[in-house]
Amino acid sequence: MRTVAPAVVFFALAGLVPLVVRDAFLLDAVVLILIWGASAAAWNVAGGYAGQVSLGHSAFFGVGAYAAALLATRWQLSPWLGLVVGALVATTVGLVIGYLSNRLRGPYFVLATIAFSQVLLIVGSRWRGFTAGSEGIPVPFRPGFWTLGIADKRVWVWIILALAVVVYLVELYLERSRRGYQLAAVREDEDAALSLGVPARALKVAAIAVSAALTAMCGALWAQYVGFVDPFYVFSVDLSVRFALAAIIGGLGTALGPFLGSLLVTTLETYLRAQFGGIGAGFVGIYLIIYGVILILVVRFVPAGLTGWLAARGTRRAAAGG
Amino acid sequence: MPLAQLIASTLLLGGIYALIAVGLTLIFGVMRVVNFAHGEFLMLAMYVAFWSFSLLHADPYLTLIVSLPLFFAVGWLSYSVVMRPIIHTSHNVQVFTTVGLSIVLQNVALVLWTADARFLRTDYYAVALRFAGAVFNWAQLVAFAVAVLLTAALFAFMRWTYTGKVMRATAQDRQAAALMGIDTNRVYAITWAVGIACVGAAGVLLAPIYPVYPTAGLQFVLIAYVAVVLGGLGDMAGALIAALVVAAVEVIGSYVVGTAWKEVLYLLLFIGILVVRPAGLFGQRGAEAFGS
Repeated sequence: MRTVAPAVVFFALAGLVPLVVRDAFLLDAVVLILIWGASAAAWNVAGGYAGQVSLGHSAFFGVGAYAAALLATRWQLSPWLGLVVGALVATTVGLVIGYLSNRLRGPYFVLATIAFSQVLLIVGSRWRGFTAGSEGIPVPFRPGFWTLGIADKRVWVWIILALAVVVYLVELYLERSRRGYQLAAVREDEDAALSLGVPARALKVAAIAVSAALTAMCGALWAQYVGFVDPFYVFSVDLSVRFALAAIIGGLGTALGPFLGSLLVTTLETYLRAQFGGIGAGFVGIYLIIYGVILILVVRFVPAGLTGWLAARGTRRAAAGG
Repeated sequence: MPLAQLIASTLLLGGIYALIAVGLTLIFGVMRVVNFAHGEFLMLAMYVAFWSFSLLHADPYLTLIVSLPLFFAVGWLSYSVVMRPIIHTSHNVQVFTTVGLSIVLQNVALVLWTADARFLRTDYYAVALRFAGAVFNWAQLVAFAVAVLLTAALFAFMRWTYTGKVMRATAQDRQAAALMGIDTNRVYAITWAVGIACVGAAGVLLAPIYPVYPTAGLQFVLIAYVAVVLGGLGDMAGALIAALVVAAVEVIGSYVVGTAWKEVLYLLLFIGILVVRPAGLFGQRGAEAFGS
């Protein structure tokens, strides 16, 4: 998908929704689609474009969420500042993880990223003096834009939309720039890329750091939107899988793919929640069973994801017509 | 310092970890697949032991005998349905397929049996055994003995039976094995089923010691990953020794820094191994960047 037209339509529609829709349930669904889409797109920077498939990205999401929540509760600072601090800390963590696991490939890299996120989970849930431990942190609601105490979900749609567009533009940069092409070369054949003088190691680390910063921003805004940070959720492997799942369903290494994946997965989740009523164990279980089955089926039958599938269909139709 | 207690606890814990780890490393060695659903099979086996005990009043050690063929069948089934179609595809597809399988199994357990932690308590559970100043209970000792026995049986199977030789040949070079007329698809099915049977047995042995809940497998499988990587992915003897090392880190760590932070110790050990020597203690260098 080289054209940006579908993306412009997608984001424009998302931006227009608050003008016509007042229903809080629907607006909430749009916010979640955008935030999980942006997180999946941020994951995609490392997992899709750089081929660094991580199942530890919740580490960065959690860092962002904790940075915003801790700055707001401990020092009464603006969550916007928390967003910046979270992105910086996550960049540092991303650089460390990227550097340390640089030569690991395939399942080894996946295992390493899981281990890192588990370390952060333990720190988040056990370091009671600093993070409030396993109880988590309720984020105080202080009205105002600067403190991100916004009750109107329409405003939230626009805030998250802005972040989503930023992540999308980073992806677009990777699709169209020299750096992006180099990264694609590293993903396809690292040894060949190295022999051509591409700084493969540095590019991989940089991709993870950028991906980490963007994921942390999603985490910071998510914490403010939801109003509560639970270490067992924000650092969980499940959350990392969620990012990867949306990106894979939408299409690995495509700019709009993660957003389409999130649209599909989040809509399904919202629909099932409405069907099964409330957040009972039954709902969560049934939703996640479907989610796991979809994951297995997608990687088996449409490994190129929704965008890849649509593109292939388009090509076939063009070939048949011409 | 109760040295005898530390040694006893390390051995008892290490035996169970070894049984979980050998199945995982066997599957990796032969199939080149990291099974992210390994812990969920462990959890299912713990539930099998729990329900057999509470509904049929079956002693967990009786269940153990049934569980071996049962989990061999479960393994065979899950291989045929889920793994077989993707066995020749990329690592990413394999990783996400087993992750998907893990999500499904975890949540089937959640829907069927809720998130409550359940305890299997046999009447001889509380019987304390004393040996050379160390105290442990009956369930731990049996679990250890059976785990060692089964691991030894698996080693013998791999070494001396025809099927074991075929599995080792496939592990060494799957193409050459196929050229020699080995049906590699069948070998993969057997390998997967044997690996799942091992972890199934481990689950039944763990049930009288640890509570079972839908995500119970995660904590054990993380330890198994550490042991498997430490021993060299695919190296069964390495996994056995590494399981004891990890158990020692956990036991001594709990004694020195307290149980709250013991996980950090073995996770740091894990990250350290991955960074410094990803091929493990006994594995060959460069295995972490394998391309096949």
